[in-house]
Amino acid sequence: MTRRMPFPAVFGAILIALLVGCSAVSQTPSVPPKHPEELPAGRVDCLECHQDVSTGALRPYANFRHSRVFINSHGTYARQKQNLCTSCHAPAFCQTCHAGKEEMKPNVKMGDRPDRMAPHRGDYLVTHRIDGRLDPGSCFRCHGNKNDSRCKQCHK
Amino acid sequence: MGRPPTVISFGKWLFPAVVAITLLLPLLFAGTVPAADLSLSSKTYLRYYERELAGGNKNTFAPLYEYLSADAANLGGKPLSFHFYGWGRMDLSDPSGSEKTSGEIGSAYMEYLHPQGNAQAKLGRFFLTEGAAMETIDGAFVKATTPLGLGVSVYGGAPVEYSILNGTKGGSALYGTRVFFVQAGYAEIGASYLRENGSFQEGKDRELFGGDLWLRVAPRVELTAQASYNRSVREMASQRYAVRIVPGATFDISAGYESYTYKGLFQSALHPAFVSPWVNPDDKVQAIFGIVDWAFVPGWTLEVAGKNIRHDQSDPGDANRGEVGVRYTYNGKKDVAGFSAAFVSADQAENEYQEYRGFASYSPSKLRVTLDALTQRYKEEPIPGNGKKNQYQVVATAGYQVLAALHLSGDLTYTQSPNYSKDYAGLLRATLELGTTTGGKK
Repeated sequence: MTRRMPFPAVFGAILIALLVGCSAVSQTPSVPPKHPEELPAGRVDCLECHQDVSTGALRPYANFRHSRVFINSHGTYARQKQNLCTSCHAPAFCQTCHAGKEEMKPNVKMGDRPDRMAPHRGDYLVTHRIDGRLDPGSCFRCHGNKNDSRCKQCHK
Repeated sequence: MGRPPTVISFGKWLFPAVVAITLLLPLLFAGTVPAADLSLSSKTYLRYYERELAGGNKNTFAPLYEYLSADAANLGGKPLSFHFYGWGRMDLSDPSGSEKTSGEIGSAYMEYLHPQGNAQAKLGRFFLTEGAAMETIDGAFVKATTPLGLGVSVYGGAPVEYSILNGTKGGSALYGTRVFFVQAGYAEIGASYLRENGSFQEGKDRELFGGDLWLRVAPRVELTAQASYNRSVREMASQRYAVRIVPGATFDISAGYESYTYKGLFQSALHPAFVSPWVNPDDKVQAIFGIVDWAFVPGWTLEVAGKNIRHDQSDPGDANRGEVGVRYTYNGKKDVAGFSAAFVSADQAENEYQEYRGFASYSPSKLRVTLDALTQRYKEEPIPGNGKKNQYQVVATAGYQVLAALHLSGDLTYTQSPNYSKDYAGLLRATLELGTTTGGKK
């Protein structure tokens, strides 16, 4: 029988080794906790003011123009740099959609913002039968991978 | 023989402790908070709708919702902040849920952000996206990047199990880490690990190994990859690989491949509702996708998206989804009008439908009105025997900026669908934004 090393100990060891080994936290100016200026209405386009590569995000500003491409893949960026999102968005912004326990659909909450990409427009009780059959993984992104339990609340 | 699941039952006392700590910590700085940046956002909604019951009786629903978020940054002049988000519901008429009241604390945490943004710590309840993790936890998170570009993040706590009804079964503890290397402007690569103690697939803990990559292979071309392997069931849980080309400020195109397995992605056996009448947990979904966003004339944007979805199993079969839309932005980007058409063609007729949508807003001065119309046309009756194959919904709203911090608006929604023959719903909305801070906060 093999004995596995407890993972918290491994995490702690990695953290200490990295921080001690590399001596310090990087002092390169990075993501500000808050965008210093008021942001204009509508979809964000960093290129209106910025050029080149963002020091904090370490990526070209063009990547963060809130195009349809960015919106569809924003999770990929958030999983590497969540604090970049909160530089311009309120910390609770993510949970407008990514909230497991939620009773109001995003498009109902934001009924006066038809320009926003809010899921579940219309009588989604009907269409979810199709989307759930074809691509149940898409439910996971907001409802979490315990959505089997969510289904059982009605499909008993 | 599988190892019995580890049970750590600190989740029950961890949350009250964490909430108490996070609520008390700001008080420690109460005497030195003149420099604090405070903001408060309150969104109040009063909905009204009716539902007809069997026998001709009607239920009238009037749920009142309050969504509250508060942020206090720069506490004591230090890079410390406190964040809160929560909502509550109280029914003014018949119960709209299992009870007449409901609510949840979505987040309540203290945060430290390094002055240069290269280290971060959170304590409390928060939504976390980090490598393989996309979770809400009651616990702690620490992340740091070293001058060499090497960094690490560690998190742990009790998973927050959300459910509209009580009783959703979840894990007792969740923890993980991500080690990454970042080269400014060119690459970021990360490896992550997540473990949730509990009885999930095959009665085991949930244990994921993840990998993520962002690589700028040319000045205007980037590759992204994100994958996770579920060690508990020895399956790739999910994979997503994409190439994105951003040649300028007006054109953005991406294409890629993604896949996931039911057994690897979901924590428990998939419910038959997904693939009635039979479920094969070994089903694998693979998709090829492409998206184009082209601002072909100032103010005008063309959006085109397509996705081919393939299942290993013949039920539910394969499908294609296509969508094309045009958006026009005007009035200093305050207003947008758009039209889109989408279709789903599938192996099985019950999965096929078309969707058409048009919307517009008009915001002269303090007044704002919007109109949003949608129709979905199904190839077969979504509810067999119902006789209805189409749905229509129109949402009209009007609002007024009463004060700089207060906006009032109302919505009227008409729906005709296989569920509703003629449904009207109303909503009143009050948005209050208070704060001492300046700068962007969308």
